[in-house]
Amino acid sequence: MAFFLETLIGGLMAGMLYSLVALGFVLIFKASGVFNFAQGAMVLFAALAMARFSEWIDAALGGDSLVLANVLAFLAAGVVMFIVAWVIERLVLRNLVNQEGATLLMATLGIAYVLEGIGQTLFGSEIYKIDVGMPKDPVMMLEGVFEGGILINKEDFYAALIAAVLVVLLTLFFQKTSTGRALRAVADDHQAALSIGIPLNRIWVIVWCVAGVVALVAGIIWGSKLGVQFSLATVALRALPVVILGGLTSVPGAILGGLIIGVGEKLSEVYLGPMVGGGIEIWFAYMLALVFLLFRPQGLFGEKIIDRV
Amino acid sequence: MSKEIGDVILDLQNISLRFGGVKALSDISFDVREHEIRAIIGPNGAGKSSMLNVINGVYHPQEGRIMFRGEERTQMDPHLAARHGISRTFQNIALFKGMSVLDNIMTGRNLKMKSNLLLQAIWWGPARNEELEHRAKVEEIIDFLEIQHIRKTPVGRLPYGFQKRVDLGRALAMEPQVLLLDEPMAGMNVEEKQDMCRFILDVNDQFGTTIVLIEHDMGVVMDISDRVVVLDYGRKIGDGDPDEVRSSPEVIKAYLGAGH
Repeated sequence: MAFFLETLIGGLMAGMLYSLVALGFVLIFKASGVFNFAQGAMVLFAALAMARFSEWIDAALGGDSLVLANVLAFLAAGVVMFIVAWVIERLVLRNLVNQEGATLLMATLGIAYVLEGIGQTLFGSEIYKIDVGMPKDPVMMLEGVFEGGILINKEDFYAALIAAVLVVLLTLFFQKTSTGRALRAVADDHQAALSIGIPLNRIWVIVWCVAGVVALVAGIIWGSKLGVQFSLATVALRALPVVILGGLTSVPGAILGGLIIGVGEKLSEVYLGPMVGGGIEIWFAYMLALVFLLFRPQGLFGEKIIDRV
Repeated sequence: MSKEIGDVILDLQNISLRFGGVKALSDISFDVREHEIRAIIGPNGAGKSSMLNVINGVYHPQEGRIMFRGEERTQMDPHLAARHGISRTFQNIALFKGMSVLDNIMTGRNLKMKSNLLLQAIWWGPARNEELEHRAKVEEIIDFLEIQHIRKTPVGRLPYGFQKRVDLGRALAMEPQVLLLDEPMAGMNVEEKQDMCRFILDVNDQFGTTIVLIEHDMGVVMDISDRVVVLDYGRKIGDGDPDEVRSSPEVIKAYLGAGH
């Protein structure tokens, strides 16, 4: 029982991290109807910026205060992501108002390549580390309830907590505020949004900024787990099944989808893995996504009509 | 009707609009007076929608001048038009389908919200109070349009007639000076048309809103309009009060064919 719980909790925490990346997709899709293939590149770009800024700032401060260096680096990376959002709106989106979804999709593919290239040109292409002082040592819990207790990875726990807070904030932002309402309006109908005086361009910058901040947080968390390197861009691929499962238009869907996939991966690996020789964790999410595409293409919470991506 | 028709609020002078070699509008002039209901009618393809889109700033005519409140309008797009108090509805209903009726109409208040986007985003202090004030205004509109019972329903699920009403509600939420209605009666049954007519007359009467509407159903238009412009093949062939227009030989010819 304790082992099952341990696996379950491990899965939930891993799932929260998938949700965080998936959230980036959902945000942009909800607010502009664009499936943003550049989300992975944005995670990489943000993580690179964060890693390098904290390194540089720490060196400039003389290495006294890692916390201060990290806070400053976070702000600087945030500013960089804002600039990225602004440039994307100016150079790409502004010229593609009212275009087909497929056109915009292709544009984001292009953005992905450009971001990956520029990111590595500006910040270097070595493997960097992000150290935000996350505790790495695991901790035992519930020792009174189970014999031997449950082993919990502290780093995963904090990461999941941060992700959860971010998710709650974003949900409130979208559902309760007038800016959130304007974002949803723009997603539904560009023309109508313009006719009631919603400034399309500014809204797009806001959305891409928010997605940039989500990418930054995801980049920091994943980066401090895996190290910052090119392969970080493929973290987005792990989030694709999550989005398919949860539905492209649903923030809660992204969360639940992430949790289901995280838990599913871990449980199936532990309990089914030995029967087929292991390795289920690697393909479980994609198989699940495939099943969903066949039988419920809108996902668990998505709106009924979706465009095939 | 007790309302008083005021001065010219919108003056269109010699408007010509071309799409490549196709002339959508040629040399059209007419004006709209404050507080009146001004209809633009004509057979299919006459240029009615183009005309409305010119007023709304979607299309930019190659020739002609547009005077709004006595000033010449140069740069214009729908967003600017909204800022200047021109709101519109759409022929093919362009509502935000995933959102509730209430949220749809609330979006119409977007321009009226004064606190900045950041404050709105964190839903804090003044922004929150402001939201409540706007909500009160929106509830008034909901009452006015008699859609209280569906205020929380996503508009995508509503029948057509109600969607048209929500579309009107969103435009009204902007408290426009000029309201552009693009075929408000299109695709409606008799009962829905009567309701819509009543709402249009009430908006005009209670709020004093100037209304420009296009419609190809002549009967309805003649009953509610103060003055009517008739277009055919991008030309103006009639202009005046409903009776004048109805008896004009050229209008009869355009509508019923030359052999009549």
